[in-house]
Amino acid sequence: MSSTSTSPLSLGFLTVVEHPELGLLGGYLLLNATGRPLEFHCTAPVKPNRAQEILYGPTLRPFLYGEQIGQTLLAKSKLTPVLVCTDSEPMLAVRDHTHIPVALVEPRERQSVVVSATADLPSKTAFRLGQNHLLLPVPYVADEQTIRQHWPTQADHLDLAEPFTRIREALDEAQKIARAA
Amino acid sequence: MSIVTTTVKLDFPIEPLSTDIAAALDRPPTIDVLPSRLIITPDTPQSVALNIRRTSPRVFSFTFPESRTLAAPLSAPLCVPPSLPLSVSPSTTNPFATSPTSPRQTTRIKPPGDIIKLEDRLYYVLQPPIETLIQSDSLHFPCEPFPYQYQGIAFLYPRYAAVLADEMGLGKTMQSITAIRMLIRLGELRRVLLVCPKPLVTNWRREFGMWAPEIPLTIIEGDAAKRRWQWTEANTPVRIANYELLMRDREVLGELLPFDLVMLDEAQRIKNTSSTTSDIVRSIRRTRNWALTGTPIENTPNDLVGIFEFLSPGYLRHGLGPKRLSELVQDYILRRTKDQVLTDMPPKLYRDAELDLSPEQRATYEMAETEGVMQLNHLGDEITIQHVFELVLRLKQICNFDPATGTSSKLERLEADLEEVAASGKKAIVFSQWVKCLEILGHQLRRFGPLQYHGKVPSQKRDGVLKQFKDDPTKHVILMSYGAGSVGLNLQFCEYVFLFDRWWNPAVEDQAINRAHRIGVKGAVTITRMLSLGTIEERINQILQHKRELFDQIIGQTAAPASLGLSQSEIFGLFNLRTPKGTIKPAA
Repeated sequence: MSSTSTSPLSLGFLTVVEHPELGLLGGYLLLNATGRPLEFHCTAPVKPNRAQEILYGPTLRPFLYGEQIGQTLLAKSKLTPVLVCTDSEPMLAVRDHTHIPVALVEPRERQSVVVSATADLPSKTAFRLGQNHLLLPVPYVADEQTIRQHWPTQADHLDLAEPFTRIREALDEAQKIARAA
Repeated sequence: MSIVTTTVKLDFPIEPLSTDIAAALDRPPTIDVLPSRLIITPDTPQSVALNIRRTSPRVFSFTFPESRTLAAPLSAPLCVPPSLPLSVSPSTTNPFATSPTSPRQTTRIKPPGDIIKLEDRLYYVLQPPIETLIQSDSLHFPCEPFPYQYQGIAFLYPRYAAVLADEMGLGKTMQSITAIRMLIRLGELRRVLLVCPKPLVTNWRREFGMWAPEIPLTIIEGDAAKRRWQWTEANTPVRIANYELLMRDREVLGELLPFDLVMLDEAQRIKNTSSTTSDIVRSIRRTRNWALTGTPIENTPNDLVGIFEFLSPGYLRHGLGPKRLSELVQDYILRRTKDQVLTDMPPKLYRDAELDLSPEQRATYEMAETEGVMQLNHLGDEITIQHVFELVLRLKQICNFDPATGTSSKLERLEADLEEVAASGKKAIVFSQWVKCLEILGHQLRRFGPLQYHGKVPSQKRDGVLKQFKDDPTKHVILMSYGAGSVGLNLQFCEYVFLFDRWWNPAVEDQAINRAHRIGVKGAVTITRMLSLGTIEERINQILQHKRELFDQIIGQTAAPASLGLSQSEIFGLFNLRTPKGTIKPAA
């Protein structure tokens, strides 16, 4: 990933949409602190072959999401975001391939039960950022401090679960154009 | 029983047989080496090499321009003047400033159908909800917009050609001003021209002050030299001009740099493409085109063609069927009615005051109609629509007042109703199409403190009249002409509307009624429609009612409830007259 110290302050949003026919579509959106789009990257559909399904077993999704899709998308960005958010738990695996903090965003409707949720997920630790609840993989607990150091206060009002709706719509839009072409 | 045993001796000699096998046994063995495959049973499993792909997926990338929202694009300060009411603190009014458990309303921007390029479409798809943009830009409002108003802003925001056709009173002004405000903040608009009817200029200035106080305005007015300077030199992002003035400044308009946006208020003014107004408006160089109108179809579907000649020349043509027309325009028009979006708004209560003429009025009316029809018949092939129209107007005036004695059954009824209005401390609007009629009413109703608002009242005094009407508790009634008082005024503190006589087109009546029945109204609005039985008024009403129902059926959602005025043949038909093309019977 290219990194520039002068790049504008940005937030990353990384997710994967599972299309029943095409396979996995990755989307990576970078926003400025007011929520406006700066960059968008998306992958062509990714489908695991039979050998991968057999050999990766339960680690297949973290591999596809984190290593194949997530790592590739992060590498395409010209910006270095303060934080990469994801709404997909297997995507947390991308943290092993980047120095940028990666956090799982709890949807708003689940945030009221975040404490019990973390009890069920001992591999993660929860913290609150602005109006949002985030989960970090336990090996990267120290990321919380890094995030807080660089977090722009004007982004406090942002709902970090909302941009994933935009990514899904953008992927849908791109697919519509691709089908029409 | 005993067992007997016998012994046999076995030491007899044995001689080997003389055979080849015996010799072979004595011969020493010979060893030969022969080539052979050695088969060893494996003791490890068979292995198969599988290709595990680790190639990276293909990536498509899009980069968008850095937003300029954090830098104020205007020279004027971005703070709200202290005299203006600010929005209440975000925690109580802002639906997206959040408690984790509160439902959040979000309104997304959708790219219009005429944007083709994927990158351009994604730019809009990936924008945050309108509510987030407003909060991020620290835009303050005097009151919290309704959800449908956010949708209206999201509709205008990405569009280069758009008609906001909400019913009167739903806040087209606020929606368009907010969309302009956001696009100016974004840097997408730097030169905006708003064109509106002359009486509405002060209203637009007031609304901009309320909804976008930081945006400097230039009102185009004054003598030719001043206007030229305002057109060419004034360094403000928004200019407001009236339609009439465009005619006079046509030459200057041709010299101007292109506008980023030209927005037409009451855009039905350009429905006739052959009119000078339409011609001038269409000649202004511009990038975006927005039209505001509560009645996109006033008379015929061709009205829409006229508006689209401004929005997207050549996109529509005359003669398209309603279904095809609806398909073509649906992505360009946003139309909501109060019934659809303000389900909790107080109702409009209609009362049809069907009155008999006074004996004096009846006598005058019968004589005038008989004589008038005879005169028209005598004209033969020379008869024109103007002749018939004059008779209609004369008869309608008699329905208001008997010219000889001044008696009026409508006035008697109106006075009785106003007694009740005044006694309860309420206020009422009385509409008529004639200033003369309003002046008579002003005299007759003086105990109710009537104020006048019509073409004879200078425009610079009109705001003062409205303020006095609102603030002075002794002023219970305002007398308005349809022309001056049907659009752009906010009189939602009035609970009673009287239509002393009826306009030709129900759409204009609707606009007049909606001066009172609009956002902010606290109680039901009672509308009294006065109608003289057995007269031309009744015949006109029947035709218009029939046409309104028919038109609603044809147009459906996009433009309903549009309505039609009277056509030439229908006006002839009011008196069963012969026209140059033969006899025309009444239409209803």
